[in-house]
Amino acid sequence: MDKELMQALARRAGLDKALAEFPDDVAAAADSAATVTARIKVPADPRAEPWPAMKPGDGL
Amino acid sequence: MNAGVEAKAETGRGLHFMTVTAAAHAIARRELSPVELMKAHLARIEKLDPTLNAFIRLDAERALEAARAAEAEAMAGRLRGALHGIPVGIKDIIDVAGLPTTCHSKILQDSVATADAVVVSKLRAAGAIVLGKLSTHEFAIGGPSFDLPWPPARNPWNPDHHPGGSSSGSGSGVAAGLFPMALGTDTGGSVRNPASCCGIVGMKASYGLVSRRGVFPLSFTLDHVGPMTRTVEDNALMLETIAGHDPLDPGSVAAPNGHYRAALDRGAKGLRIGFVRHFHEVDMPAEPEMTAALEHVMRALQMLGADVRDVRLPSLVEFSAVNRVILQSEAWSIHRDWLQKRPGDYGKLARRRLMPGAFLGAGDYVIANKRRAEMIAAVNAALAEVDVLLCASSMDPPCRIDRPAEVERTYPRQARTAFNVTGHPAIAMMAGLSSGGLPLSVQFVGRFFDEAMVYRVARAWEQASGMDQKHPPI
Repeated sequence: MDKELMQALARRAGLDKALAEFPDDVAAAADSAATVTARIKVPADPRAEPWPAMKPGDGL
Repeated sequence: MNAGVEAKAETGRGLHFMTVTAAAHAIARRELSPVELMKAHLARIEKLDPTLNAFIRLDAERALEAARAAEAEAMAGRLRGALHGIPVGIKDIIDVAGLPTTCHSKILQDSVATADAVVVSKLRAAGAIVLGKLSTHEFAIGGPSFDLPWPPARNPWNPDHHPGGSSSGSGSGVAAGLFPMALGTDTGGSVRNPASCCGIVGMKASYGLVSRRGVFPLSFTLDHVGPMTRTVEDNALMLETIAGHDPLDPGSVAAPNGHYRAALDRGAKGLRIGFVRHFHEVDMPAEPEMTAALEHVMRALQMLGADVRDVRLPSLVEFSAVNRVILQSEAWSIHRDWLQKRPGDYGKLARRRLMPGAFLGAGDYVIANKRRAEMIAAVNAALAEVDVLLCASSMDPPCRIDRPAEVERTYPRQARTAFNVTGHPAIAMMAGLSSGGLPLSVQFVGRFFDEAMVYRVARAWEQASGMDQKHPPI
């Protein structure tokens, strides 16, 4: 994630104070988010339901 | 051996290493005084806690007072329950009425709980005595950290090493004999990691089996409360005490209450065990000593008559990513206001591990949960063919606590988050000792609400190996 985009997203999230006081931590958090999302295989079936199941019942 | 003889034998080793089961039997038969038991643990704490930092707050006076009351009740033949007079430590994200729930953080250091968490009230109703509040990674995610109001807990096998986390004080204190049982919480492995690092037994039961009410959340759909003990039998006894439906916990499931000790001694003969080798051989190659320990456990179970076969699940790397996206999204909803206004009141590690949620979108969260549903189905399919899974817990022995780069490298090298994602019951325990004298570990995973089977296999390994007899040389 480039620095400008990272800063814009951080400000949108209200992290101005963290950005001013702990810029390295904010940058590390942005990198971490990008890394983990890239590792997830998007289910091939667009109709796949998320967990928890969208129904009332007894849980798992 | 009857309880009286057992109690005397345990006294020879020191009451602090007496099991929960033996102590409870001895108290019930009036062969052991709850006051003497409590004093033995308080003496152990006085001696070792300055080194181990397991406690954030020790409530010695109230604990001793409760022990005196327990003794009077026992002498009058009135036992509150199966844990009458047994000391317990509570991770400091779990509410104990009248004590602060600090979450090991400056953010909440003065936040006093007005009521017991459901799990604490169940323990008290069974006669357990709360000793105090235990160290954790900050908000169960940021640690080990040296920039917080309290120091991090240390490993009793070697205090220069990390005891695992986030339930660090729970793991350290149980292993060292500061208390015979403790409560931890587990969102990405935080009961099972300290159990692995400290050579004890830590259970994350099925999602929804144990109430989370009164526990400060990290991630609503991944959080579990779990028992930590030195033996499998004690662990099953503790789970029997804290399990049960809670209509006021939205994640609680109305599962039948289990008698988790019922199958403990049935052995492993005839059981089908799926060995998830690719976790530690391909996805995150383990240290050779850990691999050897896992092979040893597998062979021991085969010798006991189990049918062990290889099983494939989704990649550990992807399990971990799904866990992180869900955890950090949900945690952001909890911490957003504090991170916006008081970022400097968090330690560096918590700040770094909680802020990623600011950079995750709703789509990321839903996609992770769609993949989660597939992962649950994959584990269910594997468990349709076998009775229990055997796999790694940690990929490395516990590293030095004062080397941040080594902590950062080894911390994610684990196979625990997978079962927070899927919600299956999973237990971690000792598999041996490394050449450096530090615990090696193994994990067993079962079908939903089949904790009894997980305990059965864990007990078979424990009895074959004698792991419950190994204590840190501190």
